[in-house]
Amino acid sequence: MSTTLQNLVNQPYQHGFVSDIESDVAPKGLSEDTIRLISAKKNEPEWLLELRLKAYQQWLKMEEPQWPNVHYPKIDFQAISYYSAPKPKKTLASMDEVDPELLRTFEKLGVPMNERAKLAGVAVDVIFDSVSVATTYKAKLAEVGIIFCSISEAVRDHPDLVRKYLGSVVPVGDNYYAALNSAVFTDGSFCFIPKGVKCPMDLSTYFRINTENSGQFERTLIIAEEGASVSYLEGCTAPKFDTNQLHAAVVELVALDNADIKYSTVQNWYAGDENGLGGIYNFVTKRGLCKGVNSRISWTQVETGSAITWKYPSCVLRGDNSVGEFYSVALTNHYQQADTGTKMIHLGKNTRSTIVSKGISAGHSNNSYRGLVRIAPTAAGARNYSQCDSMLIGEQCGANTFPYIQVNNPSAKVEHEASTSKIGEDQLFYFAQRGIGAEEAVSMIINGFCKDVFQQLPMEFAVEATKLLGLKLEGSVG
Amino acid sequence: MNTVSTSRYLDSLLQGQPPASPLSWLNALRANAVDRVGALSVPTTRDEDWRFTDISPLTKLSFQPALGAAQPAPGTAQLNAADIERWSIAEASARLVFVDGMYAPEHSFNRAGITVENLASGVSTHAAAVQAQLGRHAAFEHNAFAALNTAFLHDGALVIVPRDAALKAPVHLLYVATRKQAASYPRCLVIAETGSAATVVEDFVALQEASYFTNAVTEMSLAGNAAVHHVRVQRDGAEAFHIANCAVSLASASRYHSVSVALGARISRHNLNVLLAAEGAECSIDGLALIGGQQLADTHTLIDHATPQCVSRQLHKCIVDDAARAVFNGNIMVRAGAQRTDSSQSSRNLLLSAKARVDTKPQLEIFADDVKCAHGATVGQLDVDEVFYLKSRGLSDTAARNLLTYAFGAEVIERIPVASLRQRLEQLVLAQTQAPALGAVHPS
Repeated sequence: MSTTLQNLVNQPYQHGFVSDIESDVAPKGLSEDTIRLISAKKNEPEWLLELRLKAYQQWLKMEEPQWPNVHYPKIDFQAISYYSAPKPKKTLASMDEVDPELLRTFEKLGVPMNERAKLAGVAVDVIFDSVSVATTYKAKLAEVGIIFCSISEAVRDHPDLVRKYLGSVVPVGDNYYAALNSAVFTDGSFCFIPKGVKCPMDLSTYFRINTENSGQFERTLIIAEEGASVSYLEGCTAPKFDTNQLHAAVVELVALDNADIKYSTVQNWYAGDENGLGGIYNFVTKRGLCKGVNSRISWTQVETGSAITWKYPSCVLRGDNSVGEFYSVALTNHYQQADTGTKMIHLGKNTRSTIVSKGISAGHSNNSYRGLVRIAPTAAGARNYSQCDSMLIGEQCGANTFPYIQVNNPSAKVEHEASTSKIGEDQLFYFAQRGIGAEEAVSMIINGFCKDVFQQLPMEFAVEATKLLGLKLEGSVG
Repeated sequence: MNTVSTSRYLDSLLQGQPPASPLSWLNALRANAVDRVGALSVPTTRDEDWRFTDISPLTKLSFQPALGAAQPAPGTAQLNAADIERWSIAEASARLVFVDGMYAPEHSFNRAGITVENLASGVSTHAAAVQAQLGRHAAFEHNAFAALNTAFLHDGALVIVPRDAALKAPVHLLYVATRKQAASYPRCLVIAETGSAATVVEDFVALQEASYFTNAVTEMSLAGNAAVHHVRVQRDGAEAFHIANCAVSLASASRYHSVSVALGARISRHNLNVLLAAEGAECSIDGLALIGGQQLADTHTLIDHATPQCVSRQLHKCIVDDAARAVFNGNIMVRAGAQRTDSSQSSRNLLLSAKARVDTKPQLEIFADDVKCAHGATVGQLDVDEVFYLKSRGLSDTAARNLLTYAFGAEVIERIPVASLRQRLEQLVLAQTQAPALGAVHPS
């Protein structure tokens, strides 16, 4: 049985190919000049250049953090090219004008964008490397006053909004990689939902890292005004390379009074081969601020890719009665490493948070949940429930749980639970008895294990995630 | 605080070491520890292990080693037999008393029929056993306080339970602090030979309210099938600093049951490392911290499942009042290959006041797949439904709250296998919970 399972686990990465699009690549290395170059290329206003330089100055003074439970060779930040964009073309009026090579890439990924966008009723803002090339459904969104565009466009067209919120949740000097991102970010998505508007469709973005050795420093900013609500989806795949690629993104969410933001991620970047060679370093800072009363921010993530995943989508619950949620499935195989979790910072009264984390480790991988629940003295009546379950597949992998619970208010109620399990011979035998093969049984057990999280995903993503997990894990049980 | 001044602080504590021992291995161990003290510095809140416990108040005070001063210093209260009686345990078959870390034979006795003696004489009478175990379990390589204790190693308690001896009555090790500004280094070594059983009570008390520094190290080695109940009661004075390192090593099918109760000290830190070194070993580790005022009680435990088929259970409770702060870090490590491990851990915390604070971190590190591991943590206040239930039966609000607080703590105390000590601690908790500061904020 174990050989069958082994074969199943060791499926080659299906999305590994490099599309040959001429890139406008900046010379390698990081300096003030690089930052000025990025800023100039993008025709940015003076204040943004200042913000970048300030972040760079702070970054220079910071040290690379050592506390995460991940190991990797030291990153040479001077060996990275900080800007790469598909060759500038005239502004595109329709899909026909998109580079055919680019379209072919999406074809291979099984994302016929134009069709899929229509079928699913999803507006897809495609990010290819660092610059947005196509935006659909923009007009439809504009009708209700929603701004959904690349962050570069937002800087150009809505500078006041960007200036007001950029860096307000994740300050430029927040941490090492956030500072780096603030200094060199090239593009990302911007979304603004005005007062009282419920976004009529799920917004989603597809990311691809394409040019070899180009770290992608992407910046996302989502603002939901009073009473607004939005569901944002992010899905990722990346081609196969042998050198490691750094991805240090920053995502900021701001929810004002009664606003509701749901942010879902399916991450399937190249994880390196079965010997742990190559793969993406995914060092991401994601944070949401429940600024207003009764606001709600919900993170859902399915992390299956990347050689190293290191991210803690967090909620700062400042508004009274605000709600933070975190639902996560993190799967590691071969030599993948994941140190992921969340931070729930309760500041307002009667704030509530829920954490459901499912970690699955197979092969030689190492999967850690690291979470913080902090109840400030001001957070009277705060409530948290955390549940962290780990599943181990094979004897060489590791599963760790590091929950930090800091409570400074007696009226708060905090609960944390964690458990560990495995896929046992007897479970597989039970399935076999009923005529279900090992492969399918594993898939069913995993799906059952992750059900609480998958339920939170939008429909199409739930289907995709279920398939992805099955594919990634097939063959790893013996 | 920078490294230079903190390492100098440790150097200042190294003053007045005991004279060299005639045993070369003991001198070598001590010299090694002195070297480590020189290399290490006082941990700060920048160290992950000390993140929530700021011991800088300790470094602002200077302490003299208790053994240096032969004559009672001014301000030293005289210890008499009546005081000892106050703390005595009726069931005990043996008692060793240490005054400021120094052996007091006049207050000690041994009717247990096993080796219960001071380490200074034990090193010669049981040379081989002591040399094989002393300093072998409590690693001081990266632990400044364990290194400091080892640097001062000259005396302490030695308990050797011979093969297949089943000791019914407890052995009482009483550590009394009498002196102001004194640093004492209690040391304890318990060797339980194959198939033996014993109960050891370590009891830390103070004769008077004073600022002093207790830095204790306890080592226990359990051979195959041995069973040890270890009760640790820390009721130091409210001005005291108490740092303790306890390391326990379990051979196959041995059983270790520990109950630690922390009531006293301004800042206390208890590191308990249990190594499940051979198959079939079991441990249960329970703890209670009941603190108020400005107290800080920190418990760090490591249960190391190094081999397959071991069982561990842990329950840690904190009752925190006033502006006190409780810290708990419970690490369960399941090493690669430690299959069929069964481990569960629970951290329960009760906050009684608006300024009270709890930092808890139950931690699982698992490197084997066929294991059963679970942990849980809760922080909260008394359940309003429970309070209402009691009130509906005629109890006042205060009485209901006191009763529930007492019951919360009693769950741990009930696990102490020594009846008289259990009763005394229950009384103590009852008195604490009925103090006006606790739970009496809602007059009914």
